[in-house]
Amino acid sequence: MRRPFFFVAATIIAVFAYLWQQNMSMRMAYKVSSLQTDHDKLSSENDILRLKINSILALEKMDKIAKEKNLSRPDEKYVIYIN
Amino acid sequence: MRKKKDRINRKTVLAFMTLSVFFLLFVKLIYLQIFLHGKINRAVDKMVNRENVEVPKRGDILDSKGNILATSIKKYTIFLDAKMIDNFEKLRKMLSENGIKIKEKKLEDLKGLSYIPIAFDVDPFIAEKIKAAKFKAIGFETKYTRQYPEKHLLAHILGITDCDGFGLEGIEKICNVNLSGETIKTKIIRDGKGRVIHNKLVDVEDICGYNVELTIDRNIQFIAAQELRKAFEKYKAKKAICIVQDPKTGKILAMVSLPDFDCSDKIKDIRCLKNCAISDLYEPGSTFKIVTVASALEEGKIKVSDFLYLENGKFRIAGHTIKDDHKVEGSVTLSRAFELSSNIGMIKIAQRMGNDVFYDYIRKFGFYSLTGIDLPGEAKGLLMDVKRWNALTLPNISFGQGIGVSALQMINAFSALANDGVLLKPFVIQKITKCNSEEDIFEKKEIRRVVSEDTAYTMKKLLKNVVDFGTGKSAKIQGYSVGGKTGTAQKVDHSIKTYSTKYYIASFCGMVPAMNPEFVILVIIDEPKGSSYYAASVASPVFANIAQRTAQYLGVEKDEVVK
Repeated sequence: MRRPFFFVAATIIAVFAYLWQQNMSMRMAYKVSSLQTDHDKLSSENDILRLKINSILALEKMDKIAKEKNLSRPDEKYVIYIN
Repeated sequence: MRKKKDRINRKTVLAFMTLSVFFLLFVKLIYLQIFLHGKINRAVDKMVNRENVEVPKRGDILDSKGNILATSIKKYTIFLDAKMIDNFEKLRKMLSENGIKIKEKKLEDLKGLSYIPIAFDVDPFIAEKIKAAKFKAIGFETKYTRQYPEKHLLAHILGITDCDGFGLEGIEKICNVNLSGETIKTKIIRDGKGRVIHNKLVDVEDICGYNVELTIDRNIQFIAAQELRKAFEKYKAKKAICIVQDPKTGKILAMVSLPDFDCSDKIKDIRCLKNCAISDLYEPGSTFKIVTVASALEEGKIKVSDFLYLENGKFRIAGHTIKDDHKVEGSVTLSRAFELSSNIGMIKIAQRMGNDVFYDYIRKFGFYSLTGIDLPGEAKGLLMDVKRWNALTLPNISFGQGIGVSALQMINAFSALANDGVLLKPFVIQKITKCNSEEDIFEKKEIRRVVSEDTAYTMKKLLKNVVDFGTGKSAKIQGYSVGGKTGTAQKVDHSIKTYSTKYYIASFCGMVPAMNPEFVILVIIDEPKGSSYYAASVASPVFANIAQRTAQYLGVEKDEVVK
């Protein structure tokens, strides 16, 4: 009497385990997909911000602003080079 | 008994009906699985599976300090699906709020189409806002666009790409394979709601283009460009070139060609894309005298203390009269003849060597050969085969006429002397960084020894004397010794088929500090207009300004007392 019961129970558990694993992998796939989208978005934003920094610090642009504001080149002894 | 029989009948009917339902389902299942499975599979496959082309980000181009010179940014193309539009007014208002305007008329014309592009190169921030509004009729496409934050600076070195991101000029062309990365196809699965589930995860970092680091220093490039542009505008020159090179490694620290262009703009005249510093040839004039003197010294045909008779400034040879700008009576030492840039002195030195030896040294210094720089469009130069030289060829070439050289060849020859007589390969790419952080590092490459260390040392002393006592006085800078040579070359006027008395090329090539050079600078001003066309008043001051600022920027140790 007990044997068939265990057999049925084991089958049900195995089926549920399989279904749970399938379900979880699907959920994880959604999560990974969404995280990848977020990552892409962030790295794209990072690229834009890096470009903005470089554009703001572009020497040609700074020179143009300096000319517009009638700034003159300082004496070389007052210049500190940062590298 | 009858009751029992009725119950059995009812049970049988119920069982039969249940079985019938299952039987029908079974039949349907067989029909679907056996007869329709192909059709259904195809429909599901079409709905669920999609092939996606992953276009990688093009690699960045950086300067020697890691500053971004070229990068790619993701931009969006926004399109409408006219079939899906239910409330056009609402949609138009939302797009207008985000700075995108669409004409209703345009939509009317294209009704029925499912792809109507309405905006290109839209920033991701704006695209996200539009996405958040959740209009079914709006679709998005992404594309990388190339950006050059420094605009004109380095335009000729960086080059350009086409609209598909394929390198057409400069580093963009030479390193196209490295910068492009790997375009791959991936399969994605979509659920019933259209959400994407990746079948095979691809790390975009693994397929992206490699970063290319240049030897160019953005600050030195800016110094060179700023000073050169001032002279270019002041003298209303046709062209202007400046190259700064590290003679100990062959690294190009700056390379400017004017007129230039903005890499980000549309190119209206493709002629401006040519990098004159490596593609254009010019007759160098007196700067070429280093080859004459160095080779004669190396061959032992002359010594620094030897005297040369300069024919009182006029020398008749092969039916032509060669003149010196500085008339000197009697004889002078080699050093003085070089300081005064005497053409007659150079002819006499070259004649001591003869055609073959002199030709060999010209080739040894790298003229009439490609330097092998990692930039496209390099010119080899012009030099007549030694067997075809006539009586005037040797004298002409000895003072830098009758030979075509590129600016890069000229500075590389000076750098060979600065580098104790060893010619190096000039290069602009110093590192390529792969996705997995692996690095390909490019280092100095020796081509050959041109002259001995002793000859190179003597040449450096002679070049220093030119700046201290000769034609290059205007190239002097504060705190540093300078060695260099001026060159004022007449250009050939093709209308009269002889040397022009109107058009000149003024150039100066020099090294700082003179005896242990940290950098070599070449300045060329093509067809300067105005009262003076001499290198001493046109090119040397530009050299001095660039050299002064560069020496201070690089922190080169001062070797002369500040006056």
